[in-house]
Amino acid sequence: MTKKMTSKFVLQNIYKRFGDKSVLEGVDLNVFTGESLVIIGGSGTGKSVLLKCLLGLIPVDRGSIEMDGQEITQETLLQHEERLQDIGVMFQGSALFDSLKVWENVAFRLINAQHMDRKRAKEIALQKLAAVGLTEKVGELSPAEISGGMQRRVALARAIATQPHVLFFDEPTSGLDPIFSSVINELIRNCVKELGATAITITHDMSSARRIGDRIAMLYGGKIIWCGKADDIDTCDNSYVQQFIHGQAKGPIQLETDARHVA
Amino acid sequence: MVWALSSIGRVFIEFLASTGRLTLFLANSLVQGLQPPYYFRQMLRQFWEIGYLSLPVVGLTAFFTGMVLALQSYTGFSRFNAEGAIASVVALSMTRELGPVLAGLMISGRIGGAMAAEIGTMRVTEQLDALITLSTNPQKYLIAPRLLAGVTMLPLLVLIADVIGIFGGYIVSVYRLGFNPAIYTKQTFDFIQMGDVTSGLIKAAFFGFIITSMGCYHGFNSKGGAQGVGRATTYAVVSSSILILVANYFLTALLF
Repeated sequence: MTKKMTSKFVLQNIYKRFGDKSVLEGVDLNVFTGESLVIIGGSGTGKSVLLKCLLGLIPVDRGSIEMDGQEITQETLLQHEERLQDIGVMFQGSALFDSLKVWENVAFRLINAQHMDRKRAKEIALQKLAAVGLTEKVGELSPAEISGGMQRRVALARAIATQPHVLFFDEPTSGLDPIFSSVINELIRNCVKELGATAITITHDMSSARRIGDRIAMLYGGKIIWCGKADDIDTCDNSYVQQFIHGQAKGPIQLETDARHVA
Repeated sequence: MVWALSSIGRVFIEFLASTGRLTLFLANSLVQGLQPPYYFRQMLRQFWEIGYLSLPVVGLTAFFTGMVLALQSYTGFSRFNAEGAIASVVALSMTRELGPVLAGLMISGRIGGAMAAEIGTMRVTEQLDALITLSTNPQKYLIAPRLLAGVTMLPLLVLIADVIGIFGGYIVSVYRLGFNPAIYTKQTFDFIQMGDVTSGLIKAAFFGFIITSMGCYHGFNSKGGAQGVGRATTYAVVSSSILILVANYFLTALLF
């Protein structure tokens, strides 16, 4: 029996430049509902920019992005706010709010956007913290009092707190040691599976990409130069992909020598 | 010549563009702030930060300014045998001018800089982006409560500064210069009118708006990491201090 694949996101010919620096130069990509897609690429290739374009945080210069068949590049502020209600995001540096306790960070959307009673929101937040392996005691601390690895877990708990159908992960394991990275990868994998969500992850950590992704796409030179099943990446004949996944200094990928760096 | 004119034109156009961006930012923040939901916890936090936590610095500034004012006035007025005017000079100076301006400048350094640094750090650490993805408008959640707290707390702080400043003048006049306490108090209240106090409070509300809007605007638009946040903090304090002094002249002329 074959499962019919419907598209969650369809990106066509996306262009984005900052001043005279062109970052995205005709990105085409299809993300299917319920799949976990990982976008890999070197530092400064525009992965985070692409993710922010999908989230509507940065406007695209040209091209079309459809989510559930609806064009989102021209959406109004209200439409944007409504769309984001079903999306959870885990940011690269966790982006936790320093002025709030850990549990208040996790319950932020429940309290401030869904106007849930604080007591009930706290119960849910503590459940989500438990799901990522953090105790009730951690919930009462401020983000500055916990380690970087714990902050990532809190950020993950915040992303899944409202059980969204779309999840974005921006470099979820950067700066973490291999053991913590493995724990975070496992948590992401489990959360995406349990929610049945569509997940888009950007990373340059190949072990993360292999563990998290059903499919992997590689961004280079402002375009998606390869996209395929995660299992096929080691055997593909794309020389750019092979150079990247094996971390070879020599190959077709030109190292960025421009002083300006795109996130 | 052409180069000089084009430079002037470029600066002028950039000034107009910046003014336009600031106006749009503030208009959007005010419109967002007027629409529900209202973030009462955020408002209370800002009332506490701007109002209560600024009391020591404003109180000390006003107290010593009132004392210096009494001493300096005595030096000048004693030459014309006009010592009796010291009480009214201290009261009028504090309520009409020194209370709002000094409190405004002190709060600009304490609050304007802190606001720019906090919001700027949120910008460079993607916390503002996180707010948007958590279905919360940053201008409604962060900016509107600060603007409201600035406009309402500054007049209250200035009212307290007026009282403390006049009291400082009283202390020096009575215990250092040997004035009669009852006569000094009577002279203070005989000459001061309600309009003197309210003109100072109106100024304070404007200054509160200037301080919070500069702090929020520069913080919200900061970029480039720690250096960018530092630059935003400097811009916030310098621009609000200058605008307070400029606005003070126009408001004084208007309320004269």
